[in-house]
Amino acid sequence: MLDSNIVVSVENVTQRFRVIHERPDSVRELFAKFFRKPVRYSDFEAVSNVSFSVRSGEMIGIVGRNGSGKSTLLKVIAGIYKPTTGRVNVHGTIAPLIELGAGMHSELTGRENILLNGLLMGYSKQQMLKRESKIVEFAEIGDFIDVPVKQYSSGMFMRLAFSVATEVDPDILIIDEILAVGDMSFQQKCFERLREFRRAGKTIIFVTHVMSQVTENCDRTILLEKGRLILEAVPEKVVEVYTGLVCPEVRAPDERADVVTVGSEL
Amino acid sequence: MLELVRDTYRYRELIWALALKELKIRYKRSVLGFLWALLNPMLLMLVLTLVFSTVMPIKIPQGHYAIFLLSVLLPYTFFSQSLTYAVESIVGNGDLIKKVSVAKLVFPVAAVVSNMINFLLSLIPLALITIAMGHPFHWTWIYLPVPLLALTIFTLGATFLFAVANVYYRDVAHILQILLQILFYVTPIIYSLDQFPRRYQWIFKLNPLIYFMNGFRLSVYYGLLPAAPSIIASFVCAFIALVFGFWIFRKHQEEFVFFV
Repeated sequence: MLDSNIVVSVENVTQRFRVIHERPDSVRELFAKFFRKPVRYSDFEAVSNVSFSVRSGEMIGIVGRNGSGKSTLLKVIAGIYKPTTGRVNVHGTIAPLIELGAGMHSELTGRENILLNGLLMGYSKQQMLKRESKIVEFAEIGDFIDVPVKQYSSGMFMRLAFSVATEVDPDILIIDEILAVGDMSFQQKCFERLREFRRAGKTIIFVTHVMSQVTENCDRTILLEKGRLILEAVPEKVVEVYTGLVCPEVRAPDERADVVTVGSEL
Repeated sequence: MLELVRDTYRYRELIWALALKELKIRYKRSVLGFLWALLNPMLLMLVLTLVFSTVMPIKIPQGHYAIFLLSVLLPYTFFSQSLTYAVESIVGNGDLIKKVSVAKLVFPVAAVVSNMINFLLSLIPLALITIAMGHPFHWTWIYLPVPLLALTIFTLGATFLFAVANVYYRDVAHILQILLQILFYVTPIIYSLDQFPRRYQWIFKLNPLIYFMNGFRLSVYYGLLPAAPSIIASFVCAFIALVFGFWIFRKHQEEFVFFV
């Protein structure tokens, strides 16, 4: 593949968070701290020296255990976090689906939210008005479009949010686990939409805990563990290694708390 | 500085949508709706007029205390309400900042824009009262955009500063309320600077707000234009506030996402 085909390149990205154990949250505490010991903190590396690139039209899966840095990595790519060190280069428009309905306001109507969401994602009013009818159609909310979204059912809300995020026609779509929500038919519809995206030659970066989604959809998969990229390979291979990582834990008696979550996600 | 102008222009549609959202939400589900924006300063005006023209009268030329008061009370309300909304604008939109990559400056700017709309609308009742009370409707009204521009620049600078500070220390929102109350009394709003002996007047002139308010009162109430030094002082204060406020804001905006 030629280099010009690379749409996202992540170069040696490290994202460090300062975890302040006793952060002075108010001036009173600040004064109190001033006379006593200095504020204690530790640095926590959520993502350590990760490099990879995504080519145009690829669907990349990112898997890893809870807390392995998947979401942080996505947020760095989406431009929400500025990486502590390293660089991210993105060519094209990104629609980050970090959380469905992040830009929604419950008091505003569906129509108003479509516009506000689109503007937040960096599209113009004109572009959004042009796409409005298609968004409403995909979301299947009909007359509810002029009702404040707080009166929507959670299904309607998610359909609208997904519809807005994908109908704006981004070059790159970033999805963080959101497809775990919604009923079967909605999920079907979402995946159908993702396949359309792929047919249109668009790029998708995809975080999930559902291994079947990875093997069925992704071209390549990345495995993160404790913030490090430990494997980049075909989905089947990565799923095998990941399952191997998780399963020994299932038997470990002192980590039973994890078993339920990890087990159910599989 | 150029960046501020460029980004404000680039995100104008978003800023406008956020400002309208702000107004819509503020007056949603209230029977009088948008009228509250106009009623609030009017009711305050009524109370203050009652106190200062009957209970403890203040001597002012031409005697129309209501107009004398409103000419400065309205721009002061614009200033204080903008700050009150903007101080929470970054923290209040924390959820959004954590999930969408968006230029942070749109939030404080939108707070100022929404209060600007309020202010412009409140000029309508001011004009009506001016006519109703038989106060001359001076041609100097057309001068209003000048002090308004200066005040807006100053307000923007202050909102940037307070919005950033509140990200790190949530006390700032409370401290701001106290500051605004103090400012209300040390700025000649309910009284006139001329009531004080000349040799003490310099103390009041340390307060930058006086230069903006001077422009409003002179043009609306007295039908005069402010002297050049006063105009220059207002723009100098405004630009210092904006440059400083935006500098701080820019320096910290990448960090907001970790603190909200």
